[in-house]
Amino acid sequence: MLDHLKKALEFANYQQTFNLQKKLLKEKMAAKLTIGFNGGVFNIDRSLLVFVEQLVLKGRTSGIVLLDANENPVLIDNLEQFRDQCFDRYFESTNEYFNQNQQLKKSRSVEKLLEQ
Amino acid sequence: MTYGILIYAHNNRTVDYALMAVISGGLAKKHLDQPVSLVTDQSTVDWMKGSKIYNRAKNVFDQIIIIEKPHTNNNRVLHDGLTSKVVPFTNVNRCSAWEHTPYTRTLLIDSDFLIFSDRLKEYWDVDQDLLIAESANDLCDISRLGYQDRYISDVGVKLNWATTVMFTKNENTQLFFNLVAYIKDNYQYFADTYRFDVKQYRNDIAFSIAKHILQGFQTSLHGLLPPILTLLDRDILHSVDENRLTVLVSSKLDSNYCLSVLKDIDIHVMNKQSIVRHSDRLLELI
Repeated sequence: MLDHLKKALEFANYQQTFNLQKKLLKEKMAAKLTIGFNGGVFNIDRSLLVFVEQLVLKGRTSGIVLLDANENPVLIDNLEQFRDQCFDRYFESTNEYFNQNQQLKKSRSVEKLLEQ
Repeated sequence: MTYGILIYAHNNRTVDYALMAVISGGLAKKHLDQPVSLVTDQSTVDWMKGSKIYNRAKNVFDQIIIIEKPHTNNNRVLHDGLTSKVVPFTNVNRCSAWEHTPYTRTLLIDSDFLIFSDRLKEYWDVDQDLLIAESANDLCDISRLGYQDRYISDVGVKLNWATTVMFTKNENTQLFFNLVAYIKDNYQYFADTYRFDVKQYRNDIAFSIAKHILQGFQTSLHGLLPPILTLLDRDILHSVDENRLTVLVSSKLDSNYCLSVLKDIDIHVMNKQSIVRHSDRLLELI
């Protein structure tokens, strides 16, 4: 086989594994960004964080109704407590994703990718 | 409110569902911190005793509920990587979960669903009587899933996956499970109405139709568990090392495989034989 063709195929194999590992990292982050609270379940994303922070800044911190991931209304008695939990979970998850993604990017072979 | 996990296992000559249930149950108990019960039949229990897994099962399971093995002519093609065979498939009594469960809030899972995270813990106290997995999420690429894995038919409603179902035992969910049983008993009629392939009974289809009907014949975002990360049966669980599963994934469902490693993530391993092949190592993880 031509040398450059062999290298291209090797890279294709590497890239496939890289893509799978990257997808798994995203899945793990998504799992950790799911939070059950007061009978609802929320996906912690930037829009939720910004909305909740905005409400707290406006002084609306108790008796707040938010729509959860299943679009059900959920009463949040203590919005500051909810905000803190969401922020903690968000930073924990994204920091972990960042660190693992850095490791992934440094791994230049299939074997290294699988060591993650 | 009592919380718990329920698994069904009826062995056949090809697949050791009981062994898979011990692994799946053990992992669920470890990561979700709730008791697990097994629904099975006497011949499967006898097999467990003969294969020396019964003592392990007694440690894993809170209760082993023995029922009569349902009669079924259901068969399925089961791939194990590149090879395949047609095997009997006893899955017709999942609609009895409401009756069999000893818990008031139950997570019903398939025996090939391996839980390595605490993600589903977040759903125990969700204020909804019934939650079903939204869809399958192919580990590799959604293009590997055919329409039969995304919709009940090419003109039908969206397919929810009964691999994970969470329900509270009450009148509403009794109605739901009774409807699932009715759909199962009148499968041909519903196949004609909803235009799905009748050759194999699928719980996913019966549960999806029941949900669709009880939502007023509408698709709804309500009552969904996370999509099921799935390793298809053409893929192979290659090895188990501590908490890491090394898998071979065929992106084009052919003989070309690439490698991946899974850790701390729930996974539906449809290649059942590859779970059984690595059962010794998997049992060490529970």
